[in-house]
Amino acid sequence: MISVKNLNFSYTRTPFIKNVGFEVKTGEIFGFLGPSGAGKSTLQKILTGLLTGFKGSVLVNGEAIGQHNNSFYENIGVDFEFPSLYEKLTAYENLKFFASLYQKHRDINTLLSKVGLLNDANKKVSDFSKGMKSRLNFIKALLHDPQVLFLDEPTSGLDPSNARVMKDLILNEKAKGKTIILTTHNMYDATELCDRVAFIVDGNIKALDTPRNLIMKRGASKIAYTYSDSGREIKMEVPLNKTSEDETFLRLIRTNCLLSIHSGEPTLNDIFVELTGRQLQ
Amino acid sequence: MKVKSLFLGDVRFQFKYGFYFIYLFFSILYIGLLFALPRMWREKAAVIMIFTDPSAMGLYFMGSMVLFEKSERVLNSIAVSPVKPWEYVISKLFSIGLISSVVSLAIGIPAGIVINPFFFIFGVFLCSCLFSAVGLMIACKITTLNQFILATIPAEILINVPALIWLFWYKKSWLLVHPGVCIMTLCSGEGAPLPALLVLFFWAVLFTVLACGTVKKMLRSVGGVKL
Repeated sequence: MISVKNLNFSYTRTPFIKNVGFEVKTGEIFGFLGPSGAGKSTLQKILTGLLTGFKGSVLVNGEAIGQHNNSFYENIGVDFEFPSLYEKLTAYENLKFFASLYQKHRDINTLLSKVGLLNDANKKVSDFSKGMKSRLNFIKALLHDPQVLFLDEPTSGLDPSNARVMKDLILNEKAKGKTIILTTHNMYDATELCDRVAFIVDGNIKALDTPRNLIMKRGASKIAYTYSDSGREIKMEVPLNKTSEDETFLRLIRTNCLLSIHSGEPTLNDIFVELTGRQLQ
Repeated sequence: MKVKSLFLGDVRFQFKYGFYFIYLFFSILYIGLLFALPRMWREKAAVIMIFTDPSAMGLYFMGSMVLFEKSERVLNSIAVSPVKPWEYVISKLFSIGLISSVVSLAIGIPAGIVINPFFFIFGVFLCSCLFSAVGLMIACKITTLNQFILATIPAEILINVPALIWLFWYKKSWLLVHPGVCIMTLCSGEGAPLPALLVLFFWAVLFTVLACGTVKKMLRSVGGVKL
């Protein structure tokens, strides 16, 4: 569905995207994960045909970017990070206008209902909260039932329940066979939604794998425990697969002297920091 | 072809953002002013009013339309839609051309200057397209309303001054190559209307083509690169 080979791009004389290559299969959710300014949005703009002048080969939905015509966008949906809506038009008027630009489109009321905006359909967008605008912007990208979806920070600014609704909708699109490119610096979204993620730092892909493989390859699950020693609380950690070798841990279990015990896996953020030396957020 | 959808969208946009209200207000004001003037001044005053306002409204309104679209980031969505630059330009030009023609008729009929409705309406429409195309080219390159107002001054001088000179003092036929003189000819009923219409058509098409190129660059620059 998407094939990128030897991609190089720069805004100035200094190279920004450097020799990037990856493939995304049909029906896959592929995440670009990285801190601000890493090159995630630039990659997305190249894939959506907004940035030209790159070197290398980029194929999206069978069309070579750079030689694509406007009908290419009949099957591309883009949810930008910031709302792109006519503020003085109502939610329904906005969707009706953008739907009219495509050959096919979904039922507007059904989409509004899915994100809980049906009752606000006739309200001006300028009266919407940030979260409502994000949800409306999101369904705008789904309007024409595109084969490839580009989502830039889709849950940014949403409360947990609306973020849940949004994530379920994304998974629903995947279940329909849509290919989704998710750009985010939210490691939890990436872990939950993505089949594979690419760590982007300074215009390079530092790692590319499934979230589980990235976590399992780099860091084992750990047990963290605390106990009291001469009135002081001591914190200790032991890898899950080495608990039998930790004499202190075994002694504390035998004597029932543990104050607390927790198990935990490293997060994508931990792996990201370990691999790149940078923080995601 | 998305022109119809874009055209209807632009008409709705202009209505919702109060453009029609502004022109209803100015039409009533202009008609009131016309009837306050002595009868002998009325025709020339109506020609100047139509030339400098409804015909030229695209020059001013295009700036605010594109600036609204830029600030609301709607151009991002247009750039990743099947809309072609020429479709975007034509819809904008035609939507402003429609209101220009209606308002010009509303001023021209009471003033008694609509001698040949065909030449009058097409003249105003083409002149409006020309002004709108110039306004669109300027609007694509600026980011604030102040920049837009400053940038339109040379265009206004270049289009208006020769036309006003022709209307009051220097009625030479060679001036008909100027688009402003053409619209004066078509609105006032003086001189040869058909050559004026053809010359105006040429200028309107030329600037529409140039505007298409500018819009194409603007939509590309949504990606973040200046071309």
